[in-house]
Amino acid sequence: MPYLLAAPLIVFMLAFYALPVVAMLMRSVSDPVWTVANYAALPDDAVFLKTFANTFYTSLIVTVASLLLGYPVALALVRAPRWAPLILVLIMLPFWTSVLVRSYAWMVLLGRHGILNEALMAAGLLERPMRILNTPLATQIAMSHILLPYMILPIANALRQIDPSLLRAASGLGSPPWRTFLQVTLPLSMPGVAAGVLLVFVLALGFYITPAMVGGPREITISMLIAQRVDQLDWAYAATLSAVLLATALVLIGAFYRLPGVGNAFRMNAR
Amino acid sequence: MSRQRSTTFGRRTTLGLLGAGLAAPFIRPAAAQAAWPEQTTIPDILKGSGEVRIAGFGGTMNDAQVKAYYEPFEKISGIKVRAFPGSDPTKIKAMVETGNVEWDLAQLSRGSIMNLQKRGDYFEKIDYDIIDSGVEPIYRFEYGLEMLVWAQVLAYRKDLVKGEPKGWADFWDTKKFPGERAMYGTTSGGFPEMEFALLAAGVPPDKVYPIDIDKALASYDKIKKDVVKWWDTGAVPIQLLTDREVTMSTVWNGRMAALQAAGVPAEISWSQGLSKRDAWGIPKGAKNKVNAMKFVAYSTMAIPQARIAFAIPYGSVNSASNEYIPPDRLSVLPSAPEIKKQLVNYNYDWWIDNRDAAVNRFNKWLLS
Repeated sequence: MPYLLAAPLIVFMLAFYALPVVAMLMRSVSDPVWTVANYAALPDDAVFLKTFANTFYTSLIVTVASLLLGYPVALALVRAPRWAPLILVLIMLPFWTSVLVRSYAWMVLLGRHGILNEALMAAGLLERPMRILNTPLATQIAMSHILLPYMILPIANALRQIDPSLLRAASGLGSPPWRTFLQVTLPLSMPGVAAGVLLVFVLALGFYITPAMVGGPREITISMLIAQRVDQLDWAYAATLSAVLLATALVLIGAFYRLPGVGNAFRMNAR
Repeated sequence: MSRQRSTTFGRRTTLGLLGAGLAAPFIRPAAAQAAWPEQTTIPDILKGSGEVRIAGFGGTMNDAQVKAYYEPFEKISGIKVRAFPGSDPTKIKAMVETGNVEWDLAQLSRGSIMNLQKRGDYFEKIDYDIIDSGVEPIYRFEYGLEMLVWAQVLAYRKDLVKGEPKGWADFWDTKKFPGERAMYGTTSGGFPEMEFALLAAGVPPDKVYPIDIDKALASYDKIKKDVVKWWDTGAVPIQLLTDREVTMSTVWNGRMAALQAAGVPAEISWSQGLSKRDAWGIPKGAKNKVNAMKFVAYSTMAIPQARIAFAIPYGSVNSASNEYIPPDRLSVLPSAPEIKKQLVNYNYDWWIDNRDAAVNRFNKWLLS
C-alpha cells in the first residue's frame, strides 16, 4: 500500500489546485452561457496570434541559448569533480534568487548607462551606448540566465549515468576525444538534453515579469495577455488563453515523453 | 504554467514592492514642518462600534492613509480600522461571486467600479445623506465616491532636454526635443493615453472626448519608434528617467516627489496632463457596510482630505480642503487652482463604455 503515502498530497492538490484550475478553465466554455465561441474566435484574433508566435519564438531562442551554454557546463560538472562544488554553487545561487531581483540586476548591467555599455565605451570599443535593455535581446539574455539550471541539471544527470567503461573502450580502440564525444557521450546524453529542452521551453512559455521589465516595447507574452484579459474582467477569454497555453505545454510534454529514454532522465537516481 | 507568477511574485505584489522601495521619501515632504490640521468633532451619525476592513494599495499610500485618516477616525468614531494591501477589482469580483467578502471598503477608481457594476451587482450604493456638502458634485457617483485626485503628466530630464516641453505636441516633437520616450501601455490592465495622442495632433482639450480612436492611433504612429517602453506600473517610468533610459515619459505625479527627493534633475510639466481620481467602493454584501459608509463620509471631509495632501502629493475632492494646506504644499498638488486649470479631466464614462474596444485596437496597433 505504498501509494497511500501519497494520498495526503493528492487530496491537497485536488482540492487546492486541480479544482480551482478546472473551475477557471470551465469559464472558457461556460461564461456566461455554454459555447465554444471563445475558441472559435482565436484564429481570427490577430493580437492572440502575434502574441502566441512571439512567445513561442522567444521560448525557442531561449531554449537554444540555454542548450548551447548549458551543455558544456553540465559536462564540466560531471568530468571535473574537483570543480563540481564550485560550479554547482555558481549554478544554484542565482537559481535561489528571486526573478525580480535578477531582472533588476540585468537592468543595471544592460542599461544605456549600465555596466556593460560603460565598460565598452571606456575600452574605446563603442562610441555611443548600445540599446540592449528594453529590447527582445535583453529578454532572451535574462530568461536564458534564469532558465539555465533547468537545462544543466538534467543534462548533467544524463552524463553521470554514462558508463565510464564505454569511454575507456572508445579511447582504447583508438578513438580521439572529439570522436568519443560525438559518437558516445553526445548520443547517450540525449535523454537529458531532451528533458532540459522540454523543461526550459515549457517554463519559458509562461514568463511574465522578465519580459515586462527588461523587454522591448512590442513584447507582449501570452501570460501578459491573460493578465490583461483578467483585468478587463473578460475572464472567459482569459480562461480560453490559459487553456491554450496549458494544452500547448501538455502536448509538448507528451511528445517528449515518447522520445526514447526521456522519461528516465527525470528520475534522479536511475543507476 | 506561468511558473514565474505563481512561485515568485504576483503583479500586484511586484507593484507594491516597487512602490514601497521607490516611494519611501514621500514620507518626508516639505509640508511636514507645518502642523497637520486636526478634525476635532464629527457628527454623531459617523460614530459607531466594531470594525471596518479597508483594502488599499499598501506601501507608502497606506502609510499616508494611516496618518491622514485611519488613526484619527478610530479615535473619534470608536470604529476600528483594519487595513489590507492589494486592492483589486478582480478580487472583488471573485469575493462577491463566492459570497466570501473579506473587505468592507476598497480603494479603486470610478472606471474599475463601474466596469464591474456593468456586469452584475458588485457594489453597495453610496448614502449621500451623510456625505460632506463640500465634496464637489463631479466626484460623486451612485456606486462609489472619489476621494483622491492625482494626475498623469509629462515628466522630463532637465539635464537632457534643452528648454521646457509644454504639452503633447512637444512630447511628440523629437526634433526639437531629441531622445527616447516612455508611455503608459496596456499590459497590466492599463489604459492607452489616447487623450495625449489627440492633444499632440492638435485636438483642443475640450474636444478630446469622445475619443476618435482612429485619429489617436494615427497620431501614435508618429511617436511609435521613439517609445522604448510602454510602462505598466508607476515605478517603471521613474526608473527609466533615473537611469537616463528616456528623456521624457508620462508619469503618475505622486511618483515624481521620490525622484526629485533623490536628487534626479527631473521636472513635471503639468500642461495638458490628465486629472484622474481614486474612489472608495463598498463591495456588495460587506459585513460592516454601515461602518464603511461612515468611514467614506469621514475621509472625504475637508480636514481628512487636507491631511492626505500633507503626506503624499495628491489632491482633495473637498472644496474646503485647500484652506488647510500651506501655499507651498498646495503648489505641487493636482488640485491646486493654478494646476487644475491646465489639466484635462479624465472622462471615466467614456472609458467605461469603450475600454475593451480601445485597448484591443491599441494592442493590434502596437503589434502591427
